[in-house]
Amino acid sequence: MSAAKKYKPMDTTELHENTENIAACLKKAENVAPTAAAASSVGRSAFAAQNMNSASTNGERLPNFSKLGGSHGEIRTASTTSNLLNRMGAIHNSKPGDVKKIVIKNFKDKPTLPDNYSKDTYVKLEEAVIAIQLSKPIKYSLEELYQAVVNMCSHKMDAQLYAKLKELTEQHVKRNIKLKELTGGSMDKLILLEKINHWWLSFCQQMIMIRSIFLYMDRTYVLQNSTVHSIWDMGLDLFRIHFAQNSVVQKRTVDGLLTLIEKERQGSTVDRGLLKSLVRMLCDLQIYTSSFEEKFLDATNQLYKAESQRKMQELEVPEYLQHVNKRLAEENERLRHYLDSSTKHPLIYNVEKELLAEHLTSILQKGLDSLLEDNRLSDLTLLYGLLSRVKNGTSELCGNFNGFIKKKGRTIVIDPEKDKSMVQDLLDFKDKMDVIVRTCFEHNEKFTNSLREAFEFFINQRANKPAELIAKYVDMKLRSGNKGTTDEELEKTLDKIMVLFRFIHGKDVFEAFYKKDLAKRLLVGKSASVDSEKSMLSKLKQECGGGFTSKLEGMFKDMELSRDINIAFRGHALSNNRDVHNLDLCVSILTMGYWPTYAPTEVTMPPQFINPQQIFNKFYLEKHSGRKLQWQPTLGNCMLRAQFDAGPKELLVSLFQALVLLLFNDKPVLSYEEILAATLIEDGELRRTLQSLACGRARVITKTPKGREILDGDQFDFNNEFTNKLFRIKINQIQMKETNEEQKATEERVFQDRQYQIDAAIVRIMKMRKTLSHNLLITELFNQLTFPVKPADLKKRIESLIDRDYMERDKDNQNQYNYVA
Amino acid sequence: MADDPENSVDRPTDDGDAGKPEKMFTLKKWNAVAMWSWDVECDICAICRVQVMDSCLRCQADNKRDVMGRQDCVVVWGECNHSFHHCCMSLWVKQNNRCPLCQQEWSIQRMGK
Repeated sequence: MSAAKKYKPMDTTELHENTENIAACLKKAENVAPTAAAASSVGRSAFAAQNMNSASTNGERLPNFSKLGGSHGEIRTASTTSNLLNRMGAIHNSKPGDVKKIVIKNFKDKPTLPDNYSKDTYVKLEEAVIAIQLSKPIKYSLEELYQAVVNMCSHKMDAQLYAKLKELTEQHVKRNIKLKELTGGSMDKLILLEKINHWWLSFCQQMIMIRSIFLYMDRTYVLQNSTVHSIWDMGLDLFRIHFAQNSVVQKRTVDGLLTLIEKERQGSTVDRGLLKSLVRMLCDLQIYTSSFEEKFLDATNQLYKAESQRKMQELEVPEYLQHVNKRLAEENERLRHYLDSSTKHPLIYNVEKELLAEHLTSILQKGLDSLLEDNRLSDLTLLYGLLSRVKNGTSELCGNFNGFIKKKGRTIVIDPEKDKSMVQDLLDFKDKMDVIVRTCFEHNEKFTNSLREAFEFFINQRANKPAELIAKYVDMKLRSGNKGTTDEELEKTLDKIMVLFRFIHGKDVFEAFYKKDLAKRLLVGKSASVDSEKSMLSKLKQECGGGFTSKLEGMFKDMELSRDINIAFRGHALSNNRDVHNLDLCVSILTMGYWPTYAPTEVTMPPQFINPQQIFNKFYLEKHSGRKLQWQPTLGNCMLRAQFDAGPKELLVSLFQALVLLLFNDKPVLSYEEILAATLIEDGELRRTLQSLACGRARVITKTPKGREILDGDQFDFNNEFTNKLFRIKINQIQMKETNEEQKATEERVFQDRQYQIDAAIVRIMKMRKTLSHNLLITELFNQLTFPVKPADLKKRIESLIDRDYMERDKDNQNQYNYVA
Repeated sequence: MADDPENSVDRPTDDGDAGKPEKMFTLKKWNAVAMWSWDVECDICAICRVQVMDSCLRCQADNKRDVMGRQDCVVVWGECNHSFHHCCMSLWVKQNNRCPLCQQEWSIQRMGK
């Protein structure tokens, strides 16, 4: 009785284990089905077929199960027997001896079963794999196959199974490679690519299907062995080995791809899907870089190298740039559509190198100047954008931009025939270049600085003249009669002029001419706006400091003080009831040293001038002790009332003209000698004065004989028949030659002033160094002095300072100087 | 005698003088220009070596002119008729009350203004 009880628990345990195994198998089969369906269309078809089979005959499942059981029938028999015994035990407890015997038999028989089972299973799985590889129907259901794999793995036969699967896959790959190779010789490249693509896609689908069947092995055996590839990786590995080893097939594939790409680059429409799929294949096989990319980049280089040379000759630079831009866009499209992203940098780099970097010098030399000259903003923007992608691109562009400005600017500055429009041309040129830097070159600081440096370079290529012309330009703007310009516009113009002024090295030349023109504006009352004058002065002060503008400020102050003095003088004259009450006298008192130097002139003046002058002298010197006044006849102007037959006129004339005309009050007819003796006006000045009175538009005196030149024997008469529609007539002094002489005199004065600056610089340097060689002294001077200077001039100044004992030559070394304290 | 009446008739006069002939040209307005400078024998101040028409070195450096006008940098004459910047001479006489040029006892004759 006790023995019978012991046997029962063993039976129960065995039944339980079997039940669990069956349940697990069913669950895994369910898991496999969706995966297979999702894997590929082929998988779906197979699964659908399986479903149909299941639906058609429910009994099919049972026979399958029975068959599987039948292959190792004794085990199933044992199980069945156990069940039967269990039932019999329930009914007939009196037969425990039979149960004992049966159990013993089971244990003894197990070892003999696996050999047959594994062999049969191998055959079955092999048939299934081959059927998949050949795209043929599978005899067995996927669930059944999956279960077979599970059983094999569970009984320690996974290693052999894996090896077998690998062998089958390798044979399949080899067969396909040879097949393509055999027919590849005469095959069109495109057809070849399509076949390879189709084969690759099929292979992938097959591997996915196979992996689904062998999923259990992938999850257990593969993961437990680090040296074993997953089924998918194993398939790719085999494919790569044989595809890569077969250089003919691989080469043809790559060549085909390159041919398609070249056609696309030439403008043809190609199958991008095909390209994408094959490129993806190469990536998956991990031979993209080694087998394709290298050749692709080489082909790209060759294509664009040849193309760029051809296009550079055929096209103008703007068209070439647009072509480059188009090519870059196309290559980016290719990257987006079918090339691997890892190719982006080398591809774009190579395109930029071949199309831009290799022709950088040619592009700039050939096209930059015309783009800048013609103000091609969009093309310049494109040029900057493209060259920014290239190493040294912007540096080269900046250098050539600088060169253009220097060359173009120099033509504006150097040509004397363009002097009249030089300043306006420079302002326009600066505006144009500023717009280009701001709009096309992204306000790049390097270009801004380059522009500035170039302007400073070329504007000083010609000594003195640019400074003089800028001063004259300012004079033109600040003078009255400057119509059509608002204060705001004038202010803006002055700001722009200050930019040009900042570039000039010889600022002292500018100051000299500016001062001379300012003096004229102030003395003749031609200044358009006091505010504008003050504004310009403050700009100069801000730029160069108070020392530069102190004298100019003094000029304005003198004019203000003069107004006060004249008001006081008028009061003084009225209270004294002198002869001046009939004459409107207005004297500008100038401080010597503030104003340009005017040569002293001695002329004989009639009492109409001498008397009020003496009265004013007395008045002024009583007010300011210790001073003396030097009158400047060349700067005065008068208003005369003239009596003609046609009626009286008011004449606005210079002082010299007035002196001449007043002589005719005493004697209506005068010879040149008589006028000269009576006035003592300098000969050249007198001739110009008479010319303006007798040969100009308003001829208040007549000359005998007629002609435009004033000769010594000429005779002059009062022109009583003079007529003019205007009551007030201005007669201009002729002063063309005087202007030229003035310019040279101004330049000479600047040169003289510069000698003092050179002396001061030499003394500063020697005082600091105490002892210095000649060459070092010259070098230091060139660094310190801001205006152009010649070594010969420096040498003269050095000798002068030695003579004046500021420094001495070294006794032992003639090339060395010592500072004398 | 016959000429006189003709002149009277030909030249109508604006003046009250009925019998006096009018001149052909009459000066009505004169805009004159005169340059002022210090009335000195030597243009250079012997103390600071700057022209007397310019501010002395100290005033230029301190930029005092803007604040104090020109008062301190006017010229001063001694009885010996030598002239200097007033600023320079003021400092000089604190150490030595003699003219730096002729060594006479310094006494101010006049100052410019």
